[in-house]
Amino acid sequence: MTAAADEISSRDITILLVEDDPPTCLRLRDALASAGFQVTAAMTLGEARASLAQAPPRVLLTDLQLPDGHGVELIRETRQRFPETEIMVVSILGDEESVISAITVGATGYILKDAFPTDIAATVRELVAGHSPISASIARFIVRRTQASAEPPPGPPLNTTKLTPREIDILWGIAKGFSYAEIASHLGMSRQTVPGHIKSIYRKLEVHTRGEAVFEALQQGLIKL
Amino acid sequence: MTELAKPASSGAQASRSRSFAWRLSQYILLQAVIAMFCIIALSHPLADPPSGYLVTAFMLNDRGATRAVTLPDFVPSRLSMNDPALYSARFNWTRNEAAGAWSVYVPRFTNGIEIAVNGVDILDSRRDPSANRPDRDTPEIAVIPTELLRDGANDLVIKLYVWGPISGFLDHPFVGPDEVLRPYYERRTLLFVTLPTVFSAWQGILAVILIVLWAVRRHEPAYGALAAAMALGAAQAFLLAAVDQPRHPKLNAILIASTPLESGLVLAFAILFFIRRWPRYAYLIFVPSAVLALVGLFGDLDTFRAVYLFVGIPAATLNLLLLAFVAGWSELRRQDVPSLLLGCAVTIVLTCLAHDLLEVLQILPDRRVFFARLSYSAMLVAIGAGLTWRFARALNRVDGFAAHLVIQLREAEEKLKASFAREQEQARAVALARERTRLMRDLHDGLGGQLVSIVALSERGEAGAPVGDAARAALKDLRTVIDSLDDIGGDLMLALGSWRERAAAQLRPHDIAMDWKVSPPGLPVHPELRPWHVIQIVRLLDEAVTNAVKHAEASRITVSVKTLTDASGGACGSITVADDGKGFALAADGGAIDARAAARGLRNMKSRAARCGAALDLNSGPGGTSVTLTLPRRFPESDAVAG
Repeated sequence: MTAAADEISSRDITILLVEDDPPTCLRLRDALASAGFQVTAAMTLGEARASLAQAPPRVLLTDLQLPDGHGVELIRETRQRFPETEIMVVSILGDEESVISAITVGATGYILKDAFPTDIAATVRELVAGHSPISASIARFIVRRTQASAEPPPGPPLNTTKLTPREIDILWGIAKGFSYAEIASHLGMSRQTVPGHIKSIYRKLEVHTRGEAVFEALQQGLIKL
Repeated sequence: MTELAKPASSGAQASRSRSFAWRLSQYILLQAVIAMFCIIALSHPLADPPSGYLVTAFMLNDRGATRAVTLPDFVPSRLSMNDPALYSARFNWTRNEAAGAWSVYVPRFTNGIEIAVNGVDILDSRRDPSANRPDRDTPEIAVIPTELLRDGANDLVIKLYVWGPISGFLDHPFVGPDEVLRPYYERRTLLFVTLPTVFSAWQGILAVILIVLWAVRRHEPAYGALAAAMALGAAQAFLLAAVDQPRHPKLNAILIASTPLESGLVLAFAILFFIRRWPRYAYLIFVPSAVLALVGLFGDLDTFRAVYLFVGIPAATLNLLLLAFVAGWSELRRQDVPSLLLGCAVTIVLTCLAHDLLEVLQILPDRRVFFARLSYSAMLVAIGAGLTWRFARALNRVDGFAAHLVIQLREAEEKLKASFAREQEQARAVALARERTRLMRDLHDGLGGQLVSIVALSERGEAGAPVGDAARAALKDLRTVIDSLDDIGGDLMLALGSWRERAAAQLRPHDIAMDWKVSPPGLPVHPELRPWHVIQIVRLLDEAVTNAVKHAEASRITVSVKTLTDASGGACGSITVADDGKGFALAADGGAIDARAAARGLRNMKSRAARCGAALDLNSGPGGTSVTLTLPRRFPESDAVAG
């Protein structure tokens, strides 16, 4: 969508698409291929792992509900083995349940399954350029988790302690429906830096280590010392 | 302390000491005025009968010596009770049938008199217990039986009994018609006998009240001390008559000499009551009374009288002076009514005591009229009034405290109610969120996936396009429903944020731009906002956008969000969806189907607005259509408006 995204040639971008519903898989593959990306499609977790073993893709697009496992496992593995690979989750509803759990294991974006083909291609291009997409409802979910609450609200666990006040301000703006340009002018920053902030937010929400997982569990009250 | 603070602080100190000096001089001035009034009242002579009935020329036969004296006269104190001074005189009486009986009236004497007319005893004051008390100025009057009187000169003999500790005194007697003399006698009796009795009764009542007070409030020994003082005072006034003098002379004497103890107890009360601290050396107050009691029990009567005179009276005087000091100190420190009353009363007593002492020392002309005991009643009145004031104030304080408690209780209750409501609200929100999560998973696993498949399948053939649109619309609605179930904490802007995304995605294929104008501060927060309000508003806005897409042929849609302030200062939100299409009226002219659809859409929007208590305003013209939704100040709690 932006000029920056166009600088990288689509032909150099390899994509591994993991989607078990054949019509949807076909539709997404068509949309990406027609935009010039090199797409490899996989229907199961096994196929995806086999493909990953051959050559790591530039971008991994994966559904979460797979016949032989959960997409979250694939994302975690890919993130650990190929840190260079950008990971996106393919979601039906774009809800926080699927998107946030994918983000905490290393995804930095999401695509709606019914999005228009041009939007799908544009989103992937933006992601490669370092710009992560975020929806108002995801932003809302994250900022509401930054607010103090007596008991942990339902939904996937999320540690928001690393977010800076500025990042939280950006998330509030997105949750209230403001565009990047509006948020940038309101917070006195350049419009171009906002998408980078989003990616940084996603990275901060990722649970990296075992120690952090313990901290996370403590935060959520799952472990009692 | 900083340089700046120093002068200010020393200035405050100076003003404090200035105001203290001012209060001190005020207090002293007040006491001086009171003392002045007392002196004026004391120097005012008591009324006496006409001097025509006065008998002053007497022959005194005392201790074997005889001499002529003019009354009033003093005789020295003596040890023996059976050695009276004998005063004899003559008066003239003329038989007159019309005239009434004659009397002998003796205004003042110490300590006892026996009156004989023409050799016959007509009065012995020693049988009158109150007359035996030298501190009470009891007068005596005796009617002379007419049979005793002779035409011409008659003999009048007055035996004066003296038993110390002070010298004997006999004021000049009056002999004359009873009807002339008696009013003067009655007046003195009222002042020096009846009034002290009344005050003694009052003292007894005070004693009972204080005993009860002390029994209920044991931690306040001040009331105990005062109760003891009052009980002692009442006992010495009334028990005296009951105690058989010959059988318990020592007890009687101790009781009569209890003034140092009584004044000591009052002083102890003042220390406990006003200073609220009991210094250990304060027990010294009771040393003189202990000495007196020991001498009374084990010594002889004359030693006892001497000790009383030289230890008891000075001790009582000292106690009074200390009492004046304590009351004055308390008044200056606290400025309350009881200390002021007591201070004034002590001044009165001290003035009268000084008068009496000066009289006894014969510095003042001695008519042997003592006022100290009488003035003590001023102190009793002050104590009663002070205690009542204290009691009333305590009651007021209790009332205030009760009112304060009621207010606090109400506040606590409200807080509790609010916290309960908050908890309920939280529980409700948590339950809703859980339900939403469950619903989301279900939709994700089932319906959602199937709809996505329909979209994908329909895109493969031209004929499937409307099916794809329908499936996409169904997916969009599914997202709307799930989104509106989320807890947005009453901030409708959060719901509008998601809606903007969906609407923009919907408009993109149609090449319609969307302008988003939010005037700070956006929309007011509505804590009462429920998911069903949100879904009505979001669907209404969807409807407005869909109308613009389908019927208006618009190229740009502008959404404006702002807060309106009405005349009464209340704030309500307003959302406007405006397009630059061909307008409603044109559409109505253009095609019947469009008109019907538009009318149905409008009816839908109106009904949705009404259910949320919002007002819908629709303007349509050649320049485009604008739908303005004015939100209520408070969203309705139930969906009853729907009908």
